[in-house]
Amino acid sequence: MYYCIPRTVNEALQTVAEHPAGAFIAGGTDLMILISEGLKKPDGLIDLSRIEDLRAIRKDEKFLILGSAVTMRQLARHEDIPLCLRMGASQVGSPQIRSVATLGGNICNASPCGDTLPGLLVLDAEFLLKSLKEERRVKAKDFFLSPKKTALRTGEILVEVRFPLIKLTGSSGFAKIGQRRGQVISQVNAAVWCTLEKESGVLSDLRIAAGSVAPVPLELTALEEKLLGKVLDDETIEGVRQVAGELIAPITDVRATEEYRRAVMGSLIVDALRSALEASGRWKGGNK
Amino acid sequence: MKISFRCNGKPMQLEISPETRALDVLRDTLGLTGVKEGCGKGECGACTVLVDGLPVSSCLLPAAKLEGTEVLTIEGLRKPDGSLHPLQQAFLDEGAVQCGFCTPGMIMSAKALLDETPRPQVEDIEEALSGNICRCTGYGKIVQAVMRAAEKSEEGRHDG
Repeated sequence: MYYCIPRTVNEALQTVAEHPAGAFIAGGTDLMILISEGLKKPDGLIDLSRIEDLRAIRKDEKFLILGSAVTMRQLARHEDIPLCLRMGASQVGSPQIRSVATLGGNICNASPCGDTLPGLLVLDAEFLLKSLKEERRVKAKDFFLSPKKTALRTGEILVEVRFPLIKLTGSSGFAKIGQRRGQVISQVNAAVWCTLEKESGVLSDLRIAAGSVAPVPLELTALEEKLLGKVLDDETIEGVRQVAGELIAPITDVRATEEYRRAVMGSLIVDALRSALEASGRWKGGNK
Repeated sequence: MKISFRCNGKPMQLEISPETRALDVLRDTLGLTGVKEGCGKGECGACTVLVDGLPVSSCLLPAAKLEGTEVLTIEGLRKPDGSLHPLQQAFLDEGAVQCGFCTPGMIMSAKALLDETPRPQVEDIEEALSGNICRCTGYGKIVQAVMRAAEKSEEGRHDG
């Protein structure tokens, strides 16, 4: 087995062209378990975590740009990052995992329960995929095809994740539920992004996405349409709790039953909305 | 492949096979058996070491990733004069140990916390230790021990 540590994206692309059966490794917190248990036997490993460009968080005129090897720890602590993504990153695994696990790993692993994925959907994130031949941008909503399957092609590297700066002007939040509070995989998670009209508090824009409730992270467009133009009062919030469970396609698995996932979906969305609006004092829904 | 790194302050050069876990290199090659293997899946925290100051699960880390890093294990905490680190002393004083298997990992996670946050709140400690599991059950005393170590270190700074 070989282990390559490229220092630039181009070097990494050359390496994968020479070793098409090699596997990319970033933090390795998912991959190493599979290798240890003999479930995956790559030819060799190509380590993307030492490429400086992939570890940077920066802004240009229009976008906030996150390198794919930015760690969960970095994401959780960076104040430019919207709350929905920071909160998601801060609840992945344990501190030990977050020290090394990366955003790109969470994305390319494409687990339906990935805690940064609903946040990326509501932020309209776009992924830059590079190969030796070309580069292309794929929207988060088009990237995830089925559990563990993505639009990434052989020879391509996820280089960066970007979303429009305008997204920083809205409020966002995240909520997840698992069998305990720390170090746990989500049974269901949810992220929201919204803007409110100044005086009235009417929802002028709203995005809602959830994880572990369908084969891929799912945007709940029907619920968004239903809530747009409304104020988040007790009645509206009760409505969210009632209908959200019907808008998802969960299954029963080792972590939770389909019925449970449907039952908690609405409350998690409400929790995510509360986390988005409470900080700015715009949450009117009480403590329910 | 050959890797070079510093472990507990000493320079190391080792020939490893890349899929080897850092845990195995530390325990088997370097004899640092204070690094414990619990679950082997990154869930229990018994194998926690600090790599460049950050807590990591050494069971999930390919040894190749140690290249160029500074590694600290429980064996590296003791001062050159042989006296214990304030965290080690506080775990003894508070009786924050039952079977002891989780203790090195707990102390390394706590060390990472105190390096960054010298005066933590209880919630900070709980958060920092959330990836370390004690199956004898005794988190209360562990949290107290970390608090005590923080206070002692603070006193030391004022005295000094």
